[in-house]
Amino acid sequence: MELLDIHEISVQFGGLLAVDGATLTVEAGCVTGLIGPNGAGKTTLFNVITGLQAPTRGRVLLDGRDITRRRPYRRARLGIARTFQRLEAFGSLTARENVLVALEMRRRWAKSSYDSNALAEGLLEQVGIASVAHKRVESLPTGTARLVEVARALATDPKVLLLDEPSSGLDEAETDALGVLLHKLVGGGLGVLLVEHDMPLVMDTCAIIHVLDFGRVIAHGTPHEIQADPSVQRAYLGTTKTAS
Amino acid sequence: MNRRWSNLFVWAGTIAFVVAVSWQAWAGNPVDGTSLLNLLVFSLPLAGIYAMSASGLVVVYTTTGVFNFAQGAIGMFFAYVYWQFVDQTTGWGWSPWLALPLVVLVFAPLAGIALDRVIMRQLQGQSLVVQLMVTVGIMFALIGLAGLIWDQQEAHSLPPLFNGEGFNIGDVVLTWHRFATILTAVALAIGLRILLFRTRLGIAMRAVVDNRGLAALSGARASLLSGFAWGLGCSVAALAGILLAPEVDMAAGGALTLLIITSFAAAVVGRLRSLPLTYVGALILAISIGWSNNFLLFAGRWTNVSPAIPAIMLFIVLLLLPRAELRFARTHVMRKIERVSTVRDTVIGMAALFVAMWLLSRTLSDANLSRFALGICTALVALSLVPLIGWAGQVSLAPLAFAGIGATAYARLGGDHGSIWAVLLAALICMPVGALLAFPAMRLQGLYLALATMAFASFVELVFFAQPFAVGAGSRLVSHLHIAGFDFEDRRTFLLLVTAVFGVASVGVVALRRSAFGRRLIALRDSEAASATVGVNILETKLAVFALSAGMSGFAGAFLAMHYHTLGSGSNNGFAMLQGLAIVLALVIGGVACVSGALFAGVFGLATVLIQENWHLDLWKTIVFLAPGLAALGIIRNPAGAVVEIGEGFAVLLPWRRDARREAAELKAANAEPEVGELGLTREFEEADVLLVDRGLGISNDVPRATTRTG
Repeated sequence: MELLDIHEISVQFGGLLAVDGATLTVEAGCVTGLIGPNGAGKTTLFNVITGLQAPTRGRVLLDGRDITRRRPYRRARLGIARTFQRLEAFGSLTARENVLVALEMRRRWAKSSYDSNALAEGLLEQVGIASVAHKRVESLPTGTARLVEVARALATDPKVLLLDEPSSGLDEAETDALGVLLHKLVGGGLGVLLVEHDMPLVMDTCAIIHVLDFGRVIAHGTPHEIQADPSVQRAYLGTTKTAS
Repeated sequence: MNRRWSNLFVWAGTIAFVVAVSWQAWAGNPVDGTSLLNLLVFSLPLAGIYAMSASGLVVVYTTTGVFNFAQGAIGMFFAYVYWQFVDQTTGWGWSPWLALPLVVLVFAPLAGIALDRVIMRQLQGQSLVVQLMVTVGIMFALIGLAGLIWDQQEAHSLPPLFNGEGFNIGDVVLTWHRFATILTAVALAIGLRILLFRTRLGIAMRAVVDNRGLAALSGARASLLSGFAWGLGCSVAALAGILLAPEVDMAAGGALTLLIITSFAAAVVGRLRSLPLTYVGALILAISIGWSNNFLLFAGRWTNVSPAIPAIMLFIVLLLLPRAELRFARTHVMRKIERVSTVRDTVIGMAALFVAMWLLSRTLSDANLSRFALGICTALVALSLVPLIGWAGQVSLAPLAFAGIGATAYARLGGDHGSIWAVLLAALICMPVGALLAFPAMRLQGLYLALATMAFASFVELVFFAQPFAVGAGSRLVSHLHIAGFDFEDRRTFLLLVTAVFGVASVGVVALRRSAFGRRLIALRDSEAASATVGVNILETKLAVFALSAGMSGFAGAFLAMHYHTLGSGSNNGFAMLQGLAIVLALVIGGVACVSGALFAGVFGLATVLIQENWHLDLWKTIVFLAPGLAALGIIRNPAGAVVEIGEGFAVLLPWRRDARREAAELKAANAEPEVGELGLTREFEEADVLLVDRGLGISNDVPRATTRTG
């Protein structure tokens, strides 16, 4: 069943239509890919889903409930978590503290009680950065800081996780590890919306892929279908003809 | 609340306020042609001066991103320079027509360019509080410098231009000086319009506003432009100062320096961008002030409403601004982050402080005991800002306003035998006041919030204390604290009391920093957007920290009241807005995010007072202003604060602090990375950069390469 339903979302910045009637769904238990050239409106769409950007038109539904007008922190409590393309980690806190902030907030709305410290260690272990738990995030390389963001997002115990180019800054082995982690997470029933430029990672992890171009969803389907889609090739390469 | 309705509410409230005040304070003058003409003749020149000053502010802010608190002080300083040239008796007796262009078109712009080169250019990318406090420091330095050169014990006055002659419009006299002021403002408006829209330079300036990086890539020389903007800003500041000086008291820390509040209000009407709207704002302000001067009579508790009009208007305009977007993390100059001390270390440190004070206090005279107590009380006020500014990154310039409210509450509630409950009540009373101020201000970000608190501080200074329920016309006697039959009247026991209170409060603050709430505040400062997406209710958190800080300020204020023993209602009662600014400045110099920074603020204030009082040298007579002003320049190098810098420097020398050495090395490596955006554009691509790129690309050093650069 559909976990997250983005319905006819449009965002206008002055004369620029950044997102133009985009519709897509994210299902529980699988990774949904969102790809498209730079400036296609992917990050803007993420901001709309998390409530950082109000849409000009359209609705966002989580579990069938309209959350379009909810404030960002409410959405987080309802189960939407994300990472950012341009790093938004809490730079002056340690990796462990980054996760703790999220865990301590979750404690306020979740009914269960837990040991934040142990859980934080576990989450850092899960994304594979336990060794830098006590380092200030500002001093970490970009790729590692991204993983801190992933751990922080997971700490809110989300239903749906939005990842904005998580692999940029990671080397090949780390990217593979990320793919394994994604498979494991969706195996636990989490829904993931993945914006990514690393095509092997997208093709390997995504069950379904949406292609965004100039703010519109121009295609969606399985990785196989998308690879064959001529409109996608046009969007990415500008023309179907290969350069001579 | 819906935004349309809330705006309507503010407008209706404003109109009701103006009508009610006019009704109450109506002086009974007839409203006819002559009196309205009088109003215009008074208001238009004033509007011109406000508009000039505010335009300078806007031009500098839009091109360089620095909001200049020293705008008024620059005008004040150059008004004195001008005075030096033209004064017949002690000055050099030049003709005004020679001195005026020399000061406004040569000296002031040169000073502006120098200011940009030496100081302002290094403020790019620094945090807001650092940017603000450096300009506040310049303001204090200029007040100090002016006081040093031109003895403030003597009265200085400037005659108006054209020997004060004028011409008649009906029954009303318009002096040529005021007429020239109006013309100058109009000419400046036209000149700026042509400059910004018709010249290459102006178009480049506007491009820089939109996107500095892009403008640099397309060939605009940002550094040249910022120099030009500062030159222009200083020039119009000087012009405004010189034209206003004949109409007001020239005292260094007085009306000319405080012109900033008025200019801020006018500039905020133009959202710090639009010059036409800034002129409109200046006009509205001048007419309001003219209206109150010509038709209203404020007496008794309301005497100071008239000078408070700019502050009130600044606050109202801020309420009408649209809600700010959630803030994403901005790339700052790599900061040296405060080492978070442990509670245990703080307890040891504070115990040591107490013992030291206990020993020291045995040798101090009564006067010095009193000064030390004031220093510690100041540190306590500064401590209240550590969670707010240091951790949450919300700039408040009103610590002494809340302290004043707390002081008043304690004075009223303390009774004959000041009880500890009155102190706690004083803190409790300030918390909702702080939340109430913060609630509308929370919609605003950074700079606007700082301005709103400044307006509040100014309002408290001018209007609050004069209210009969607060202090009223005379003064209030404040009783000493009694705890369990023990009296803290004696100077020495009071000093030890405040030292102990500071110690306990400091331990509390450190414990708070290490708690979940403390972490959440740091998270908020680092990225509001990310905080919101992990479930932090930003509004609630900001309100909480604002209330906490206000409560702590009020708590400190109760001890300040005990120290002063009498609480006056004038601006010299120890709770003035400018003094509050000085405390914020001293805290930032010391280290805004740590307890030792607050202690530094107190000790720094104490040291300047001790120097001034004990060494009767002319050079030291304005050190209270000069020292913080000059020390502010150090903030640029050490944004984390002097105490942190010294502490880290000391720590790497200790053999057992291997962690400190490692961290210093990491920091050095991180800071060594060049600013990529400027590389090759404003900074030459050097050998070191080549090596860096090679390393980035994985090219080894032994690859043969051309040794000479081509082209």
